Amino acid sequence: MSLAVEAKKVVKQFGNIRALDELSFQIKTGEIYGLIGPNGAGKTTMLRIISTLLLPTSGTVHVFGQNVTNNASEVRKILTYLPEEAGAYRNLSGWEYLKFMAKFNTTNTEKIQQIIDEAAKISGLGERLKDRAKTYSKGMKRRLLVARALMTKPKLAILDEPASGLDVLHAYHVRKIIKNYVKEHEVTVLLSSHNMLEVEYLCNNVALLDKGKIIVEGSPKNLITKYECENLEEVFAKVVGYA
Amino acid sequence: MLKGFRTILLKELKELIRDPKILVGMIVVPLVMFPILGLVLGYAVESAQEQAQQATLLIIDNDGGNWSQTFIGYLENTGININLENNLTPQQVIDQNLLPQNNSTQFIEIPLGFSANMTEHTEGNWEINAVINSYGVFQGGGIFSDIGSSGITAIINSFNRAIAPNVLYTTQSTIIKGEIQQGIDPSALSGLMISQSLALPMTIIIMLTYAMQIAATSVAMEKEEKTLETLLTMPVDRFAILMGKLSSTVIVAGIAAIAVMIGYNYMLGSVTLGIQSQTSIDLVNLGLVPSPIGYILLGISLFITLLSALALAVIMSAFAEDVRGAQALIGYIYPIIFIPTLALIYLDFNTLPDIIKTILYAIPYSHPIIASKAVVFGDYTTVIFGIIYVTAFTIVIMYVASRLFATEKILTAKLRFKRKKKENQSQ
Repeated sequence: MSLAVEAKKVVKQFGNIRALDELSFQIKTGEIYGLIGPNGAGKTTMLRIISTLLLPTSGTVHVFGQNVTNNASEVRKILTYLPEEAGAYRNLSGWEYLKFMAKFNTTNTEKIQQIIDEAAKISGLGERLKDRAKTYSKGMKRRLLVARALMTKPKLAILDEPASGLDVLHAYHVRKIIKNYVKEHEVTVLLSSHNMLEVEYLCNNVALLDKGKIIVEGSPKNLITKYECENLEEVFAKVVGYA
Repeated sequence: MLKGFRTILLKELKELIRDPKILVGMIVVPLVMFPILGLVLGYAVESAQEQAQQATLLIIDNDGGNWSQTFIGYLENTGININLENNLTPQQVIDQNLLPQNNSTQFIEIPLGFSANMTEHTEGNWEINAVINSYGVFQGGGIFSDIGSSGITAIINSFNRAIAPNVLYTTQSTIIKGEIQQGIDPSALSGLMISQSLALPMTIIIMLTYAMQIAATSVAMEKEEKTLETLLTMPVDRFAILMGKLSSTVIVAGIAAIAVMIGYNYMLGSVTLGIQSQTSIDLVNLGLVPSPIGYILLGISLFITLLSALALAVIMSAFAEDVRGAQALIGYIYPIIFIPTLALIYLDFNTLPDIIKTILYAIPYSHPIIASKAVVFGDYTTVIFGIIYVTAFTIVIMYVASRLFATEKILTAKLRFKRKKKENQSQ
């Protein structure tokens, strides 16, 4: 199976702080890969490097064979990025927002319409898409943004805390969208999360990050078995020496 | 005392005082700005007084009698520099360029019959008065520009007190663009022009500050909502993102400049009509409103300046993390808008020393104000120079803005700073 993402010895230095410390991992095409860890572990920094927002201090990252540093514009054509706690344009309706974003991918009117229809299906927002984004609840906004990230069927979707802060029903809907979409369209997903149960439910493989380093990597099931724990939360606590 | 009031008050004060943006914007800026304005005002009064002292008064003695000699002698005793000419009409004074030759901006004509009328009056025929005609060149200077002419009026009043009350009257006329406008008092005209020259700079200040806030908020909102982060990962040229932002502000700036021009034109018309019935001053007839070309040039100057301010606002907001931060950063630009604008209200630009002129020329936001005075007198060269200068400044600003958006450097630096803070917090 070909590689969607290949990170080799990635270092990111912010002044005196080493946010990423020789991070290496691989993501196979079509899988859901989770970066998990506490605040400040380096998850968002890694996602930003892959999505061409930040440059690595050293090391290399390839997305479907394209180097994110030297070939950023090509990489941007094949990925979508959903920042943590991102918003939509308050005075655009959900429908207008989706159309605005779709236009960056194609100028063909029919294709734009298809993309928006797809997003409408994914978001499940129905008639509310006609309303301005400022009238949306947090959960509705997140569903809109997840739909935006998936509607173009990108080769790689990078989702930073996709269900963070959502109520049970919205979080359930978002997770279901991601899981089903990957299955149906062979999209590769890289996500970060604090929520170990969410990761356990969604991800084929996970990397546990702490202080900019991967401390353990594998499938949730294998990690739970290997560390003789009941869930990933316990595994994490055990490997960082908390439990 | 209200329960909990003190606790909340202390918390609020701590929050406000510890925010460097508020400290600088609300405390440091006024502390710096007002002393500078004080210096400007002090300088304005001083320079106007100096000019009045140094001014030479040209006297045209068309009477040649004993009383005209007495009057001239009285004026000489007050310490005014006097140059004397005989037997010339006021129009000849202007045609022969006698004012610039005598380094003067005003002259007095002692008309034929002056001495005869004075003699009649002093011999008890109280109904007969003497008249002198005073002529002043209108320059459209600052608020203190008529200090010189007021000085001469005071001297004539004191002459009256010394000789006989109400013996001497003056008629006031103004020389505008080389033509004598009979019966128009330069002080009244100056007052009227100042009332208008205050309105345009104030409107420009409001428009610039408001437009900059909007532009900065637009970018900062994108950052705060993380929509900019999303956009930067889309398959779109980053220069296109910047140009999209700037172009929308250009359209708004264009509409704003046209709106100001229409409003300003309407205001000139209404002020003229209002004053006309009382003092017979009609700025349109006097040629003291801009020509159509003047309006167009003033509009262009205003538009380019707005564009430059908006581009600067976009750049500055790129360094802010949120809307509040962007607005605070924009606040730092306000002094360089306010100081030249207020200075140009009070000062006559043409009489300023070269160093201050250079400083004012160097500040792009001075140019619409300079232009608003220059177009009235048909000085299009100054306006066009200003437009070229501000255009060049705007191009530089837009280039810097494009580098900010087109390369990842500034984004990385900004995110690095933000990230560092987060890291520090988590530690």
